[in-house]
Amino acid sequence: MNTTTAAHPSAALTHKQRSLLLTIIAFIFFALLPKFWTDDGDLDSLANAMSYATLALGLNIVVGFAGLLDLGYAAFFAIGAYYYGIFTSFQVMPVWSDAWAPLAYVGLVEKLNQGGPDLVHFTLSFWLALPTGGVIAAFFGMLFGFPVLRLRGDYLAIVTLGFGEIVQICARNMESLTNGAAGLNGVQGPKLFGYRFGVHSEPYYYVGLLLVAFLVFVSFRLRGSRIGRAWMAIREDETAASAMGISLVNYKLLAFAMGAAFAGMTGVFFVAKLQTATPEMFNSAVSSMLLVMVVLGGMGSVWGVVVGAVLLQLMQTWFLPQSSEWLHSLGKLTGIGFLQTVDMVQWTQLIFGVILVLMMLFRRQGLIPAVRKVAPLTMQQQTASVVRGGFVGLDKIGRWAPGTGDALVIKDVVVKFGGLVALNKVSLTVPDGGVVAVIGPNGSGKSTLFNVITGLVEADSGSISFKGVELLGLAPHKVLEAGVARTFQNIRLFPNLNVLENILIGEHARLKTGPFGAVIRPPSVVREENTAVQWAKDIAAMFSNRLTPRLDQTVSGLSYANRRRVEIARALASRPKILLLDEPTAGMNPAESLELAEQIKSLHDLGLTILLIEHKLDVVTRLADNVIVLDHGDKIAEGLPDDVRKDEEVLRAYLGRSGGH
Amino acid sequence: MTAGDLFLQQAINGLSLGAMYSLLALGFTLVYGIMELINFSHFNVFMVGAMIAMLTLQAFGLHGQETILTGLPLIGVLLVAFIVSMTVCGFIGVGIERFLLRPLRSVKGPAAMITTIGVSYILFNVILLTIGTDSKNFPNPLPPITWEIGGAVLRLREILIWVIALILMGGLTYFVTYTKLGKAMRATAQDPEAARMMGVEVDQVVMSAFFLGSALAGASGMIFGLYYNLAKVDIGFASGLRAFTAAVLGGIGNVPGAMLGGVLIGLIESASGQLVGTAWSDVVIFGILVLVLVFRPAGLLGRLAPNKS
Amino acid sequence: MVETPLLEFKGINTYYGDLHVLKDVDYTIGKGEIISLLGGNACGKSTTMKTIMGVVRAARGTVTYEGQEINTLATSERVRRGIAPVLEARRLFPRMTVYENLEMGAYTQPRGAQFEEDIERVYSLFPRVKERRNQLSGTLSGGEQQMVAIGRALMARPKLICMDEPSMGLSPLFVELVFDTIQTINRQGVSIFMVEQNANMALSIAHRGYVLQSGVVVLSGTAQELRENEMIKQAYLGEMEIEPT
Repeated sequence: MNTTTAAHPSAALTHKQRSLLLTIIAFIFFALLPKFWTDDGDLDSLANAMSYATLALGLNIVVGFAGLLDLGYAAFFAIGAYYYGIFTSFQVMPVWSDAWAPLAYVGLVEKLNQGGPDLVHFTLSFWLALPTGGVIAAFFGMLFGFPVLRLRGDYLAIVTLGFGEIVQICARNMESLTNGAAGLNGVQGPKLFGYRFGVHSEPYYYVGLLLVAFLVFVSFRLRGSRIGRAWMAIREDETAASAMGISLVNYKLLAFAMGAAFAGMTGVFFVAKLQTATPEMFNSAVSSMLLVMVVLGGMGSVWGVVVGAVLLQLMQTWFLPQSSEWLHSLGKLTGIGFLQTVDMVQWTQLIFGVILVLMMLFRRQGLIPAVRKVAPLTMQQQTASVVRGGFVGLDKIGRWAPGTGDALVIKDVVVKFGGLVALNKVSLTVPDGGVVAVIGPNGSGKSTLFNVITGLVEADSGSISFKGVELLGLAPHKVLEAGVARTFQNIRLFPNLNVLENILIGEHARLKTGPFGAVIRPPSVVREENTAVQWAKDIAAMFSNRLTPRLDQTVSGLSYANRRRVEIARALASRPKILLLDEPTAGMNPAESLELAEQIKSLHDLGLTILLIEHKLDVVTRLADNVIVLDHGDKIAEGLPDDVRKDEEVLRAYLGRSGGH
Repeated sequence: MTAGDLFLQQAINGLSLGAMYSLLALGFTLVYGIMELINFSHFNVFMVGAMIAMLTLQAFGLHGQETILTGLPLIGVLLVAFIVSMTVCGFIGVGIERFLLRPLRSVKGPAAMITTIGVSYILFNVILLTIGTDSKNFPNPLPPITWEIGGAVLRLREILIWVIALILMGGLTYFVTYTKLGKAMRATAQDPEAARMMGVEVDQVVMSAFFLGSALAGASGMIFGLYYNLAKVDIGFASGLRAFTAAVLGGIGNVPGAMLGGVLIGLIESASGQLVGTAWSDVVIFGILVLVLVFRPAGLLGRLAPNKS
Repeated sequence: MVETPLLEFKGINTYYGDLHVLKDVDYTIGKGEIISLLGGNACGKSTTMKTIMGVVRAARGTVTYEGQEINTLATSERVRRGIAPVLEARRLFPRMTVYENLEMGAYTQPRGAQFEEDIERVYSLFPRVKERRNQLSGTLSGGEQQMVAIGRALMARPKLICMDEPSMGLSPLFVELVFDTIQTINRQGVSIFMVEQNANMALSIAHRGYVLQSGVVVLSGTAQELRENEMIKQAYLGEMEIEPT
């Protein structure tokens, strides 16, 4: 085993400690700020900046974590805002009846008389509205998310843009509810222990600060959890994420809901501070500004988007007006008329556009990138002699329970793509604990077979049953839950995540932590995470010293062979009951291929059932109990490896029919 | 006005709008067909086209609808305005592609699309800062000749719009069907690698598509000005939404689809303006967009489905 | 007499990312020859095609055409100088007619009398193609598409045609037809470089061949020599005991 001076574990620790220290210092600084910076207007600006920061954090979940480009995000901001606004202002006032009495008792409404019949005046408490606003916005998040689930990135953007517009149109036109373009007025500020927040900014500033701190906390907790990993997997490669047991529908909806909740809460706060709500506050310009904040700060980067939000807010409220003054002075000095009257604030949106373009061209990862640069391996680690041979540390892995009978039964499966028959009534069985190999020339249907087993492709007829469960018709993540894990022929890892994260995602279906658990982190969740991490490390350790020193390296930088190993590790992490390997030795030289063959054999010895696509016949000979040969979608031979390799039909399929020339 | 007359009037209005949306959708679909990129800036290029046409006409000394021209001067002035508008917009499109999008061609993810969002903002705000937010009077030198068909009114401008749209659509169809570059564009849209191996310079094809698409946006902008007698900095979004829906409805990436979609959306907008009022027509159009994307993503005629494959 | 070969690969090494796909590969294609590149799955055959066409660039080594190094030459220029492809699975432009596909083949050639001559020549070689000239190529059968694909390559007046798996997905009848046609074209002076999985068919018309396995040339020789070499079976079935010759 490699004995490094562990540049990697202790560096990670110091980084975490450093981050925490910086965070605490920053928090204390901002908490004390109003004591020595008492300009009310400035504090108000900062409080606004806090709102935009929390909005950016919410958008970061949708765009940055889950990779869903939502251009109409301000809609949820509006929903939270109007929710609070309507239920605290004098806009909606139904006629009083005694049915309202119990609500009056708890302080949610009060009886009002302005001359005429008694009316209901809603007096929703700010502190109650804050979480409930989040919930209501979350509901709308799922509502808007639902139709866009299957849309590709750019279409998703357009449709969400449209939703944003519709909400704004509704706000403008449903005058009875929202008072239209004139906006709600008489919105009540928050009340804390009898003290009502007045027009001074300071209390709002503190509430805003707490909100930011809370949502930053939630963001980090989510990102470092099973939930965050699932989102990032979806962002990186949906197909692979699905094949590893992540329900695309559920997690995309969750991302929309979470993001919307952040915006809803911000909406409540924003309107409580402003004490009015007009449709203009939630238009597409706001959505775009939030996008710029996220792009500038760094998509997926929690601190990045906060910094981005603060910077842009500073730019708008301080830098641009200030620079206008400077330019005016310059204009007076030089006599250039244009400079004397220029108003830089009008240039805000233009600057936003320029920022977007420049960031995309020159720094796509943002100011504070989400993916932390990890120290590269030391020379010692890189040149450490590779320990060849089979898997090590198998005692930690444990055995698979032996079974009898057939694990996987494929019967008469037909798959057609348009007019082309990719699989023509193919049948095969994989006995429990056995190794079956599928071979065949290019285009014979091998990968299609794997795809139809794992639910990525639909079958036209036939049946595939695994341990009694019918797999046809199941979504890919359900197939994984049934115990079927796979690798892909052209390796589908999550490129911007590191080795450990990739392997952990394989465990997704075995873990149970939900969003609330992720945020609260009770001991049971901590235990579950630790066990999961340990399991992932144990699996990585199986590959002796190849993966373990590279656990926090981003997989896109790994060698081809190592990426293949990570993919296998990821599949094993799900503790499958059958492992589907699609050309695992592709791209490996003979020595590496034989090594991997040995490793697969040791898995077999542990009792794991394996179905293998391979075209290297000696790998197959070493491993397989039974070989199935496909050609043009038909099964043309089946038997022991030695028999198959001498079969005339097989040779003909590979080498071609003899011509008559 | 009888119901029949109303219907006819709606049809006339709808077809004029449809002509405009068709051209705009066509320009958009040309680029999408080759690059599979939603170009957000397209709709502000349209707005810029309207502005440039307006400035060109004003340069001739035309203002509002006071000056009427007929015959050759009329044709000449309109022709010049169209050509200037289309050419400038074409070059804007080429500039966007060459300097801002080509470096991102190999980058996966939303980078290119976000860039077009940024460009869209830049175009909008440059116009905003130079021309202003108010609605500008678009010079209309057309004589106020009208015809009456039953109780409906057909204006000269509508005939003009249809003629221009037909010429441009016909020209474009001829271009992609019969010219070498046009065929190269079709080939590149269907299989860029194979096209490259035929000797096609893909970079050239992409630039040409952007030029043509943006030029069509410019023409569409001038039509907007002629139809509504105004040019305003925020006309891009509403027309853009309709043109985009038209392109998707007809089948994105599909030339006849864009034309069909444009006409349909024009007619629908005209009808919905009558039925639910203009404030809600955005919602109607958008609803159609969502329905098409969710239930029939390939559109009526299309083959490039906007779902993951 | 040693004539300058038409195309030569010397020490070519190509990578996809860090995957070493072609390892120190040497080929020679002489004027008027039919050369066959054989091998099983994922051995580097398609990458060879792409390197010749210029779609992929070699990291090390030289590609020489007509005595000149063309490593950095653009694809369109290579086509202009006489290298034309027949792509794997045909890859015609599906929503263009047969005629338009042939036109695209002549993209680098001048229009006019030469074009008309060339089209006639393709029609006489493939009467079926002439029949279907106004049909959308996506509606043709696999075999018919292959004929159009070969015709499309001929329209570029090539000196060298690179074919990627010409027999893939075709019925036996069409396979015969295709290989007959290859011989006919070759007799008219066009060199053919043919990547083919169907070793038996390929060796029945080729002059010489190379066998590729995992990016390494493991066997080479005249068609006769290769036909009689038992080791071909091993190379195809992916057995790794073969040492490169």
